[in-house]
Amino acid sequence: MRIQMRIRVVVAAALWYATSAGAAVTGEIFGPGSESFPIAVVPLKNLSGDTGNALGNRFAEVLSRDLDLSGYFRLLDPKTFIENPQTSGITASDIDFVGWSSLGAQALVKGGVTVAGDGVTVEVRLFDVPGRQDVPQASKRYTGPRAELPRMAHKTADAILEYLTGERGPFDSAIALVSKRNGPLKDVYRLTFDMDEPTRLTDERSLVVNPRWRPDGRGVLFTSYRQHFQHLFQIELPGRQVTRIGGGSVTLDGAWSPDGKTLLVTRDEGGNSNIYLVDPAGQVLKRLTDHWAIDVAPAWAPDGRRFAFCSSRAGSPQIYVMGVDGGGVTRISQTGNYNTSPAWSPKGDRLAWATRAGGGFQVVVAGADGSRAQVITNAGSNENPSWAPDGRYLVFSSTRAGRSHIFMADRDGKTQKQLTRGAADDTSPAWSPRLD
Amino acid sequence: MIRRRRGRRASIDSRGRRPAAEGVGMRSSWTWRVMLAVMLIMPLAGACKKKGPKPGEAGAGAAGAGLGEEGLAAGGSSLERSKRGLAPEEDGILGDVHFAYDSYEIDGAGRDVLARNIDWLRSNGRAKVELEGHADSRGTIEYNLALGAKRAKAVKDYLVGQGVAANRLSTISYGKELPLCHEENDTCWARNRRVHAVILGQ
Repeated sequence: MRIQMRIRVVVAAALWYATSAGAAVTGEIFGPGSESFPIAVVPLKNLSGDTGNALGNRFAEVLSRDLDLSGYFRLLDPKTFIENPQTSGITASDIDFVGWSSLGAQALVKGGVTVAGDGVTVEVRLFDVPGRQDVPQASKRYTGPRAELPRMAHKTADAILEYLTGERGPFDSAIALVSKRNGPLKDVYRLTFDMDEPTRLTDERSLVVNPRWRPDGRGVLFTSYRQHFQHLFQIELPGRQVTRIGGGSVTLDGAWSPDGKTLLVTRDEGGNSNIYLVDPAGQVLKRLTDHWAIDVAPAWAPDGRRFAFCSSRAGSPQIYVMGVDGGGVTRISQTGNYNTSPAWSPKGDRLAWATRAGGGFQVVVAGADGSRAQVITNAGSNENPSWAPDGRYLVFSSTRAGRSHIFMADRDGKTQKQLTRGAADDTSPAWSPRLD
Repeated sequence: MIRRRRGRRASIDSRGRRPAAEGVGMRSSWTWRVMLAVMLIMPLAGACKKKGPKPGEAGAGAAGAGLGEEGLAAGGSSLERSKRGLAPEEDGILGDVHFAYDSYEIDGAGRDVLARNIDWLRSNGRAKVELEGHADSRGTIEYNLALGAKRAKAVKDYLVGQGVAANRLSTISYGKELPLCHEENDTCWARNRRVHAVILGQ
């Protein structure tokens, strides 16, 4: 019941925003997991140079996938479309709104693509079918190299979500993860929402753990055993140069501060792990925990003043929050005897973590003070939650389909979607910041 | 505890490895293995005498290798073995110490294993050993890395307390990254919660 009320508030906000801007999509959009808002995504019309309509079709495919992953939409089957994408018009005056309405479409996406050499220009429009008009706020024009076409589709999906839900979508982003796709050893991989399989970033051929994005989205921290013991490394994107951060200290994990000026790292000192604030060269600025128990997995609050971490100081692993100045340690997790892997929502209002329940782990989402904790997964073992840049979705690893794969869910767990497949073990996903 | 460990060794036998003689107790089986190890390692020891291999370098695996069981190289760190496509080693010249769930406390059975390991370390006074901490799958990746480090440290502290020089012992944690077995049951979890000792050089 509470869920519905919340969603109605969102709808009201979206409608107010839309009305105040002079246009509206008619109808109500419910939350992720409802999969109820009917939308038709038509391949882009070839305005010039799109041989075989390859790019126009690809754009529609990527956009449709994003909209499906969001959990808000019911995508109409292209086989039922009444207009030929390549011969019909792409402006409101040319569109058969009555026909689209009879197919059940509330919204329609149409547009055109122009290809010249390596350059691509996409013009895409969102139409309100019952209102028989286009929606300027979610209609876009993009120009760039051919390889950027999937990102143009992601930006379009993000803009459509922003218009309809009041919150920009998260799909123009990437997920770093650890995988054994290349044999028994592990490397860091990168997945975007237009890819069926992640591509390998590192060439460690060793064990790697705990990838984390730099706030600019152009670097990924990870821990590797390449020099026998665990050290912290960073790979630059897209160049892929790898540098070690810090000296020879054994480092279990690291996380950049939101302003990108410092890091929190977990160092192991001969069997005792503690959390330190270090500078970008790995020089210690402050020791933050000094306890015989396990302290691990620091996760910054977006305000850069506090962080969450996991500690066994009370006899079992639990989630704590403390100040980066070293003060105010507060226990956050109140139930369960095994809570780890905290992740702080980019909006600052929520924490997610993994809790042990039954035979495996489940993802918990709670207020930043630990209140209103709810479990959002229930099948298989689900670990290492990481927030989307919009604070609405999370990724995590799950064994619900056999081996460990990457899944995404909204923060209420209403929509759950599988992102990677295959025989490889995919673990430790980290959702990037927005790419621009 | 010893009964359980025997049962495990029996299962190794069934996979075609050298069986321990029926009725031979742990102790004598142990001595026999040590003798064999020393015999096989002797020729290698000369080569490694001047400069012991650093942990993780190819030589580290090679020095521990030699306890050939039907051609399968024994020894080597769990990670080096994994790079060579081999499963991690269970026991070895030095026995594995096992732990309770989410614990790094050495129990009575662990002290028995360590008593035998200390005997070997005393008679092989130049041997350096890396203690690998491992965890079962029922913890998260980063927590298990810290837990494995605690386990390795607990074993190191115990050995040092019994007179083994600290500079002969290094520690590393593999968390749940390099399990011996992959089943989700009590027997497999118990096997994976361990500190495994790798002989680096003598």
